[in-house]
Amino acid sequence: MTRRRYRPDASGRLHLVLVPLAALWLVPIVMTLGLSLLPRSNPKTTALGLLPESPSLSNYVEIWQGNPILGHLLNSVIISVPSIALTILFGSMSAFALARLRVPLKAVIFGALTLALILPMSSIIVSTFKILQSLGLYNNLLGLVLVYTALGLPFAVIIIRTAFLAIPNETYEAALIDGANRWTIYWKLYLPLARPALSVVVIWQLMMTWNDFLLPLVTLSDNALKPLTLVPLAYRGTFLSQPGALFAILVLISVPIVAVFLAVQRYLVNGLAGAVK
Amino acid sequence: MRYRRQEAGTALLFLAPALVLFAAFVVYPIVYNVQASTLRWDGVNVGQFVGLGNYKELLEDPVFVTTLRNSAWWILLTIAPQAIIGFLLAVALNRRLRGRAVYRAIFFIPAILSPVVVGIVWQRILDPFNGVVASVGRLTGIDVLTQPWLSDPSTAIFAAIFVNVWMWTGFSMLFYLAGLQLIDTSVIEAARIDGATGLQLMARILWPLLRNTHLSLLLLGVIGSLKTFELVYVLTEGGPNHASEMLPTYTFKQAFQLQSVGYASTISVVLLVVAVVSSLSMVRAFGSGFLTGDET
Repeated sequence: MTRRRYRPDASGRLHLVLVPLAALWLVPIVMTLGLSLLPRSNPKTTALGLLPESPSLSNYVEIWQGNPILGHLLNSVIISVPSIALTILFGSMSAFALARLRVPLKAVIFGALTLALILPMSSIIVSTFKILQSLGLYNNLLGLVLVYTALGLPFAVIIIRTAFLAIPNETYEAALIDGANRWTIYWKLYLPLARPALSVVVIWQLMMTWNDFLLPLVTLSDNALKPLTLVPLAYRGTFLSQPGALFAILVLISVPIVAVFLAVQRYLVNGLAGAVK
Repeated sequence: MRYRRQEAGTALLFLAPALVLFAAFVVYPIVYNVQASTLRWDGVNVGQFVGLGNYKELLEDPVFVTTLRNSAWWILLTIAPQAIIGFLLAVALNRRLRGRAVYRAIFFIPAILSPVVVGIVWQRILDPFNGVVASVGRLTGIDVLTQPWLSDPSTAIFAAIFVNVWMWTGFSMLFYLAGLQLIDTSVIEAARIDGATGLQLMARILWPLLRNTHLSLLLLGVIGSLKTFELVYVLTEGGPNHASEMLPTYTFKQAFQLQSVGYASTISVVLLVVAVVSSLSMVRAFGSGFLTGDET
């Protein structure tokens, strides 16, 4: 490895730069956590407005009791989890076909897929709204799942295909000669090997499904169906008088996705690099 | 021959679910937009055909000019800083360093937060009364810091761009880290033996070898800039008085606040054309290898 060759004092100097930079980067996060502890009884802050004068957990209790938070949280899960599963499944299937099978019009399909990468959500929102309405999926979480899956597929296909291509072609041919059919090869051989790439897709798709608010804003009219991200916007008026509760909700929105990120973090770099395990 | 046809059939089965979803939620919306862009339409009643009237109107719309200017600023002022800081962070955090996983997490976490969260948090940070920036300004006597960044038309777009850089720099870092994994360590080894300093190694060897990463980030950056909606919507709603308007926020306003679905579709079509043309010209200029992972 080359790393031994770095001069020993270099990493000390590196920390000298990295620590202040990281601290600066963390300011918004620290403030979010700080203000989530800002009680209604004493809205005074200290430390440049980053921290409450008298921290208290009352906001977390309050939002839990005052709003159907658990329901909104569940809605977010019901949207994200199936969409991630479908994106992984359909995306890896397409990626397998595009990497290893003879596909008619391969270039056209690949080009078209990248088109979806370009497509802004706001451009398709009106038509999506109409399609979902005609399919009877307006005001329905399944509709959101399908749209997010469609929009997430291009990225999934590109990333997973790169990983599949890194698997030596001989493996594929050997398995074929051994009489394995293509579905078995895909499911038993390729999919497990692409695990780092799949973790990238999981995070990417979770970022889209968990964080988006435009699509639910437009296609869900029922308050009970709304995901967590719409809560701060929906109750903006109420929160004006109690910023502490608003920031507690923001923390609540962020905790699950940060947890998933920390769980898959060590796979991400290799997954993006197209490496296989 | 029979074998080949059978394989093509299997391939289509593998592709079928993706293609069906794709047709319904990507291809159809594009067709729909093109069609609706020729109508004067409120989205409910029967639309009135106006041909290219909406496009003519758009060209004369001063807000459209603002959105183009803002997109240009966004592209210029987000891609370069995100790439440079991201690259430096990646090089620093690619070596064996105490706490490097923690550093990586700190810089990447903003990218996975919801724009709703980021927007509301930064509204507070930039708030002229309660915000951190203004507090620093009052403490140090640098009065300029206490100005209303997001509600001043001359600074709103730049404040949003600044927040975007905070949010997405870690994403560039991750891409560069991935790119660095693909560089043959013997190249670095050889340069070291030839006496290259850290700085030379970075500028002359690592930076050029990461060409594909630069290009991917450039493409994603251009597309991302054109697509920017959520962050601006939460931070400023495109205001004040359209000063920080982007094409997608303007589309949204036209469609859902002003009920001009025809006009909104026109903006969408223009946005799509701009995005496709710029992506295609990049692919044409640099080859598509950086996107598909194929050798070019």
